Amino acid sequence: MAYKPPKQGLFGQVFDVLTLLVLTVGALYIPLYMGLAGAAKVPNPVANPTWQSLGQNAAEQQQWAALGITDPAAANNIITARFDYSFSWVALVVMAVLVVGYFVLVVRLSDREYREVIEERFGEKR
Amino acid sequence: MANGTTSKTQTERLQLLRVLGPAHIWALGVGIVLVGEYMGWNFSVGKGGMIAGLIACWVAGLLYTCVAMIDSEVTSTVAAAGGQYAQAKHIVGPLMAFNVGLFLVMAYTMLEAANAITVGFLLDTVAGIQGHSGLDQHPFIVLSIMFLAWLNYRGVLATLTFNLVITAIAFLAIIVLFLSVQFGASSVPLDFSAITNDPLPYGWVGIVASLHFGLWYYLGIEGTCQAAEEVRSPARSLPYGTMAGIMTLLIAATMTWYVCSGLIPWEYLGQAGTPLFDAARVTGNSWLMVLLFVGTMFATLASANGCINDASRAWFSMGRDRYLPSWFGAVHPVYRTPYRAIVFLVPIALIFALGAPLDQVVTFSILSGLLGYTFMTFNMIMFRNKWPLDTIKRGYVHPFHPLPTIVLLTLCSTAYFAVFLGYGTQLIAMLCFYIIASLWFHFRRYQFVRRGDQFTMPWPKPRGY
Amino acid sequence: MDVWSKLEYVAWGLSLMFGALMIIDLIRTDSTYDNDLLTSSREGEIEATAERHII
Repeated sequence: MAYKPPKQGLFGQVFDVLTLLVLTVGALYIPLYMGLAGAAKVPNPVANPTWQSLGQNAAEQQQWAALGITDPAAANNIITARFDYSFSWVALVVMAVLVVGYFVLVVRLSDREYREVIEERFGEKR
Repeated sequence: MANGTTSKTQTERLQLLRVLGPAHIWALGVGIVLVGEYMGWNFSVGKGGMIAGLIACWVAGLLYTCVAMIDSEVTSTVAAAGGQYAQAKHIVGPLMAFNVGLFLVMAYTMLEAANAITVGFLLDTVAGIQGHSGLDQHPFIVLSIMFLAWLNYRGVLATLTFNLVITAIAFLAIIVLFLSVQFGASSVPLDFSAITNDPLPYGWVGIVASLHFGLWYYLGIEGTCQAAEEVRSPARSLPYGTMAGIMTLLIAATMTWYVCSGLIPWEYLGQAGTPLFDAARVTGNSWLMVLLFVGTMFATLASANGCINDASRAWFSMGRDRYLPSWFGAVHPVYRTPYRAIVFLVPIALIFALGAPLDQVVTFSILSGLLGYTFMTFNMIMFRNKWPLDTIKRGYVHPFHPLPTIVLLTLCSTAYFAVFLGYGTQLIAMLCFYIIASLWFHFRRYQFVRRGDQFTMPWPKPRGY
Repeated sequence: MDVWSKLEYVAWGLSLMFGALMIIDLIRTDSTYDNDLLTSSREGEIEATAERHII
């Protein structure tokens, strides 16, 4: 016996689209509003910067000049900025569990639905 | 119906138009991705230094070669609009398909938004050089999305022919820049001393971290299979166009790294907005500057164009199967495009292009792509298990079977770790989004889906069911 | 008012035009054709006739 889906009215269709939309926008903007987004580089400027103390050789100085930066002080922050790659193992484990758990959940639920599909498609002789 | 246009006897059915050849597939694949060479990849240099940038370029190249091989095999067999979405539906199951469809729509819509942001940024830079400060970028962002959506609305052949032309020009611009710099057109010498002086500013972890943006060199090449329903001979054109595309990109990526790393101090390169254009500025040659401005512009437009094409195909396919409201599964009677999906995705792209910062949008796009590649690994294994090679005819069979899958899975895990370094919160937010969306689909939305109708391929029953 | 300020207005104008073209055509198409015809596309239909996955 093939499954007969109910017919969805206009209101239901609009409602479903809105649900997805709210979810999507939420996923993007919630981390943003909570200020949790993005890894920032932290500059460690050196005092009284010169091109030498910033480790830029003659060719590199020419390149900086061509990019419109002739004053080493202006390049100070760009050159000395570094990421911070220290992380907590707990957070890493949480992430790993979440990724693996997500895929396991999806594949298991999919399989349940898939069996139904196959049964209906190949069940009766065609 | 062999040529795909609706014949007289079947006027009651509307289908997408089968008009594309391998060159269009190349243009769709490379067009979406080439923008990665013009902006974004260089953040990998910022995350790990020059050497790390090059290693990331090649490791990501390996990852995407695996993706292209796996994709070519599956998609030359499951030739349907929606690409990986239709694959998942036939091989793994409906909920996975829904998730894959969302990955695709998110990855492409976000990439489209990122492109529009870049158009605005580039015009602002040029206006600044010409002495007009404080350009309002919004009209240009809106215009690029609106124009390309309109182009897509009007028909796929014109859209992808346009893409072919502008992609070819953008690709040639990279080659011309490389050759002119090589033959001394630059007033400033190439300098690679940072490689020996400061090889790995972050140590080995920097190489892993840089893989995050290394993906950006190639992200979107898998979009070629979205066009499966519009290609004249999918079993041949899709593998051919995809493989030619990945080769083009490997060449372009390596040349881009070489020119930019040689001409721009890595500390600047690591945070530049438009690296190839900056490299042209450093050469001091105004012809090259104009050329690379045009290249950057064309690459971003080609990419946004391909993204609209791909995202709307995925959205359309989901509507057609009632995973989404069936209203979206409509084909335009004259232009033969999924016109409702195209129009609906315009405001979504605008929300992200006008409201979110670039790196956030890019990360969202990369993460959706990454989840999609992870899916491909077990999809491939299940495909070969459920339908071994001798049960159905494949358009293309990739060599060394489990090896590309294993390599891909390993590289995906590494890439998750790379994203986690610095963007862990986004990763968790996105996973929560997909988990909630999955539960919503399984418990609410799936009741509207016809069960047996989802399996449309003329294949035998899968093994083990 | 230099050329860039003018371009801003041109860009707004063109965006409005492309948007309007799409919306008008969408409304016209939807009111001219039957929705069942518009959503009549089925996956794999071409597949079944044009390509056989049989060895």
